[in-house]
Amino acid sequence: MIPRKPRDSDHPKVHEAFRLMKSGRMDRREFIRVAALLGTSATAAYALAGLPEPAFAAGNMPFPADDPKAKAGGILKIAMEVQKMEDPATYSWVPMSNQTRHTLEYLVMTGPDNVTRPMLAESWTAAEDLKTWTFNLCKGVMWHNGEEFTADHVKWNVERWLDPKTASSNVGLSVFSAMVDVTDEKDAKGKPIKRMSKGAIEVVDKHTIRFHLNKPVLSAPEDCYNYPTAIAHPSFKPPLSDNIIGTGPFELAMLKVGDRCILKRVAKTKDGKDFNYWGGKVYLDEIHYYNFETSNQLPAFASGDVDGVYQFSVEQLDLAKSLPGAIHIARTAQTIACRMQVDQKPFTDKRVRQAVLKSVDNEAVKKLVYPEGGDVGEDHHVAPVHPDFASLPPIKRDVAAAKQLLKEAGYENGIELTIDVGNTDGTEQQTACEAMRDQMKEAGITLKINILPSAKFWEIWDKTLFGCTAWTHRPLGTMAMSLAYRTGVPWNESHYANPEFDKALDAAEATLEVNERKPKLMKAAKILQDDAVMIMPYFRPIYTIVGKSVQGYDGHPTQYHQFNKVWKA
Amino acid sequence: MLKLIGNRLLQMLLIMAVVSLVIFAIFDSDKFKKQIAVAELGGFAVSALSDQDYEAWLDRKGLNVPFYDRYLKWVGGVVTGDFGRSFEKAEPVSRLLGERLINTGVLAFWVFALMVPISLTLGIVAGMREGALQDRAVSFVAVLTTSLPEIATAIVLTVIFALGLQWVPANSAMVNGWDWRQLALPVLTLVLYDCGYVTRMTRASMAEVMTSQYIRTAVLKGLPHRRVILRHALRNALIAPFTIIALQLNWILSGVVVVEVFFQYAGFGKLLLDAALFGDVYVIQAATLVAVFVAVVSQIISDVGYTFLNPRIRFS
Repeated sequence: MIPRKPRDSDHPKVHEAFRLMKSGRMDRREFIRVAALLGTSATAAYALAGLPEPAFAAGNMPFPADDPKAKAGGILKIAMEVQKMEDPATYSWVPMSNQTRHTLEYLVMTGPDNVTRPMLAESWTAAEDLKTWTFNLCKGVMWHNGEEFTADHVKWNVERWLDPKTASSNVGLSVFSAMVDVTDEKDAKGKPIKRMSKGAIEVVDKHTIRFHLNKPVLSAPEDCYNYPTAIAHPSFKPPLSDNIIGTGPFELAMLKVGDRCILKRVAKTKDGKDFNYWGGKVYLDEIHYYNFETSNQLPAFASGDVDGVYQFSVEQLDLAKSLPGAIHIARTAQTIACRMQVDQKPFTDKRVRQAVLKSVDNEAVKKLVYPEGGDVGEDHHVAPVHPDFASLPPIKRDVAAAKQLLKEAGYENGIELTIDVGNTDGTEQQTACEAMRDQMKEAGITLKINILPSAKFWEIWDKTLFGCTAWTHRPLGTMAMSLAYRTGVPWNESHYANPEFDKALDAAEATLEVNERKPKLMKAAKILQDDAVMIMPYFRPIYTIVGKSVQGYDGHPTQYHQFNKVWKA
Repeated sequence: MLKLIGNRLLQMLLIMAVVSLVIFAIFDSDKFKKQIAVAELGGFAVSALSDQDYEAWLDRKGLNVPFYDRYLKWVGGVVTGDFGRSFEKAEPVSRLLGERLINTGVLAFWVFALMVPISLTLGIVAGMREGALQDRAVSFVAVLTTSLPEIATAIVLTVIFALGLQWVPANSAMVNGWDWRQLALPVLTLVLYDCGYVTRMTRASMAEVMTSQYIRTAVLKGLPHRRVILRHALRNALIAPFTIIALQLNWILSGVVVVEVFFQYAGFGKLLLDAALFGDVYVIQAATLVAVFVAVVSQIISDVGYTFLNPRIRFS
């Protein structure tokens, strides 16, 4: 039976969101996302919204429905950088998490539709104040060593993430940052040390775990699919690749960093029992990752060495089109921020920063770099793909105004600037900066482009005066803005500090209803845009390709691989 | 002779000690430790680490102990065959190095197997009659192949033989197991480049020998041309190329980075490049020791070979 309204047992905010959707103040996709985050099953959320459930998830499972035509067996070969698998809690690159994702699993899974569905947690509920979250774990989930998966195992993982010795970036996620308190202890430089709050984790029973937060958090389930939150067995000791025990359908058969990573189906547990995978049918026998740098992945596909690639660059799009295969172009919030440090000369003078922005035509840069796919940026960090995005009045290139601003700032003969570029996501970053350089020249700005090896760039990305930093996809505009521009946050590379902006962002983050949140977030975006902190010329598309024999594959905006229902014809 | 070899080996140990100490000192700096952290944890994660978290990470990696402790421990390990563990590849350096040396050894074997006979033959043919058509033709081709950078040769060969004629694969990553056909293009690239150089050297040496007094005497005595070349000219003409060929051993070990990277061939040069970019100090150390060893040994082979080819040369 199709539900017409939320159940009484659903979270009050689901009822509120439902009312907002019905009154036209929340769009249906956002309702599904919010309802799923608050514990309503994805199937029910789609039904309440009156939308058909997409093919990449079936019922309450995170995976697509079984394809009756699917054939079992075969090896899927993917070209990707093969990285080491040391400690899943400190993973810093998506490829290493892809190598692990079919072995260690997550409490939840966020699909390409931005909706979070159950995985190792079969359901969850949140208290009305969003400060207590209860996760009900799947029963009958088996580790590769034959043990049963329980709430104690989740507790062990979370405690480990919150231990400063682990140095996990998970502690920066909203839900986990709300589980630590500042202590009286100080580090070598006198900074206070944060430790897990007393009673933050409660094991209710064998299959129920509760998180007690010190502030309301809406995105608790979503945070549990961030790639370093894979659930490891408590016997884990780094390096993971030496003895990997997970709950997934595959196990690591071979890892040669910089060469290949071979995953094979688990047939028996380590103590000799038959391994029963909780997630239903899995078709592939093996998944092979072969090491190819980004520029070499498409040629490897073209030569028939692999069935698919992790990504290829825009320069290779024409080549990809000429090959037999299915191209997937994912619309994302991945971008570059050509940001200036606002507390360093000459960028302390807002007129200089404004002149820089006014001398550039973002649309022209985007068209040059990404003729197909992608979105034009508006010099703030909210992307059209974000549900809380709304367009600001269009920004126009104005060379005369740029010259005038420079003159007023005391640079009537022009100014020379240097931007550091690491090409960390490909040479498109350099191309974009070269286009900006040519445009700026007309306004009297001489832009020198300092190309650094990507590893070198990451050493100085938050220290350089003027730098071009690649930012990955985040599901919400508020998340991206909060991570990079809030006063004093670790990733505030521009050193931007504006209480008015922080206040506007706080207001946006505290608003559940997306149509109400949009103007609040865009108010913050406008403040940021007016303060001329960065040029953000575009949001880039992600290109991948798989061979025609590969079925059931879908691109993910964060480039996460989940091949449970992929099969080869 | 034995004294010479002994001296050279002692020199080698001294060079190894100095080089390893210098590399260790360079990579012990805070900057390089940060580089390893960035490479392993990512730039975003490192900048978000508190000082305490960063110190904890250094402790876990064994990078927070004094320089001399780490160095002495490493030297102790090297003596027993343990070169440490790669930060990037997360496996023992000795195993990693062994596999890569075998791969580069296979590449080197085929390069030498083709390059030596071809270049010696061409060089001798060209040098026999200086200025003749055959000399000009060989010299032209030799200069052409040597003057083309390896990367250009690799691209041209890939376009013709892999993308155009589709006779051989375009890369040598050996994704589907060992495939000899994938070795064709890197071998051909290196042979073309090196052949020109050794041919030119052989030609110059041969041409010089052909103008010497004893060859003129042999010709004037009425000896057949073939006998003059094979019996009198060849042995002396091979002294200089022999030295050059022995020194190519060193070049092929660490000088083929471009070719190995272009064709995605997992050899020693690619390993060294990856390690240098990552700041993988134990791999760089081990690779440097191997490079020094091969350089010294190839020099010894060259010197010893010299004495056999030219008995007038004696080492004191």
